[in-house]
Amino acid sequence: MATNFLPNNSTNKGHFIKDFSHPIWAARADKLQSLSGIMLGVFIVMHLHFESSILLGKEAFYHVVQFLEGGVFSESGHGYPLLTQIFSAFMLLVVIVHAVFALRRFPTQLGQWQALRKQMQFLPHEDTKIWFWQMVTGFGLFFMVPVHLFTMMLDPAIGPHLSAERVYYDNAWLLYVLLLPAVVVHAIFGLYRVCVKWGLVSQRFALLKLAKIIVAYLLVIGVASLIAYIVIGRSLELPIIPYVPMN
Amino acid sequence: MDSPRTIRFDIFRFDPQDPQDSPKMVTYEVTEAPGMTVFIALNMLREQQDPSLQFDFVCRAGICGSCAMVINGKPTLACRTLTANYPEGKITLMPLPGFELIGDLSVNTGKFMRELAERLQLWLQPNADVVNIHGLETPMDPEEAAKLYELERCVECGVCVSACATKQMRDTFVGAVGMMKIARFEMDSRDARSADDFYHVIGNQDGVFGCMTLLGCQDTCPKDLPHMQQIAYLRRKMAQTIPDSNRII
Ligand code: SF4
Ligand code: FES
Repeated sequence: MATNFLPNNSTNKGHFIKDFSHPIWAARADKLQSLSGIMLGVFIVMHLHFESSILLGKEAFYHVVQFLEGGVFSESGHGYPLLTQIFSAFMLLVVIVHAVFALRRFPTQLGQWQALRKQMQFLPHEDTKIWFWQMVTGFGLFFMVPVHLFTMMLDPAIGPHLSAERVYYDNAWLLYVLLLPAVVVHAIFGLYRVCVKWGLVSQRFALLKLAKIIVAYLLVIGVASLIAYIVIGRSLELPIIPYVPMN
Repeated sequence: MDSPRTIRFDIFRFDPQDPQDSPKMVTYEVTEAPGMTVFIALNMLREQQDPSLQFDFVCRAGICGSCAMVINGKPTLACRTLTANYPEGKITLMPLPGFELIGDLSVNTGKFMRELAERLQLWLQPNADVVNIHGLETPMDPEEAAKLYELERCVECGVCVSACATKQMRDTFVGAVGMMKIARFEMDSRDARSADDFYHVIGNQDGVFGCMTLLGCQDTCPKDLPHMQQIAYLRRKMAQTIPDSNRII
């Protein structure tokens, strides 16, 4: 580190802030973890709603995709799948930031893991249990989310038929079946924890109840839309022709 | 009138001083009396059945904080727990985890609290030049006084420490009681310490930024102290502080 060559006096204070051993990083790590978490959590709630628009029919989903891909700005009106690629890359970056700072929380030594399990048996406590599942799902997401994001970066084909092809013919449903519950649990309880952690709410138990209802709701629309894509996929024949609305 | 119930107690027994001894659960039976607390039952047991049984108490009124133990999976004060709360008539008693075991149900919370107080400097540090013991004390804003009194209610029982999974995983973590007390001095207008001073004791992974908000503390504190609010307050306060990196504590 360059700072090693500088005399340790108060004039190089600004310089030290870049140093990860600077005490300010304790606060920054916590803030960055929460901020990146909020971004990812809010995004996932929107994402699940966008993709569930297939439940309202192919046309609805077509228009949602067209809108999100910036259809109004493209000449053909279909939009730019490149946007999906750029956005996926950006999300990957946010995920990396979140994972790097969240990793501090993992029980890295066997002794810590045992202490946690023992504590949970000895003193059953709901929020501790919820956090435990958040940690377990976080670990799973660490592997699953990059797979999903890389798929979207390499082949950003989204549409009623194209997505159904990926889900059904490319067997993406296998990933989604695991990804969906993990991401919903992790994100919603994560948002709950951020609110409680920084004191944004005082009605904790009401918020926890709301979080549980949202988890159930997102799981229902998530599973239903996954089934919808499978049903559409089965009804299609290869090679897939992208869906275009009638009029 | 119904005949009184017989309560079955399963109690953890172990004397760490005795090299021959090993931890075990021992069952006792006590006839319930109206208004009986776990503390009363333990005293009856010691008087009538087993004088070697070790447990702590002083005040019998939820004030001294010495009788904390794990009662049917929940850490709390024995003197404030009625046996009538357990309709099954079965009560399991364990010592508070995370503290040095003195013997049976007795743990050394005092040693822990003292070390914590020394480590975090949990006492009022007034501004040296405003203290004049001959003059009248500056009156305190009643709102501030009420807030401080609220936090002063902590009886240092150690329940919040034993209910915290973060603390169990990381021994050096200060735990809720330490953060509550820091918050108390941070709010006290008579304390001369700056946000930077507090950051250097609590603004790290062993302090407020290591807390994962599992809230076992808040859910078990027998004095119903507002841990969630106070720790969040401290976290926000510390997150706004830019600590001086060149300090050596
Ligand atoms: S904060 Fe509550 S649980 Fe913790 S030591 Fe004080 S009284 Fe006991
Ligand atoms: S004996 Fe003092 S708090 Fe229970």
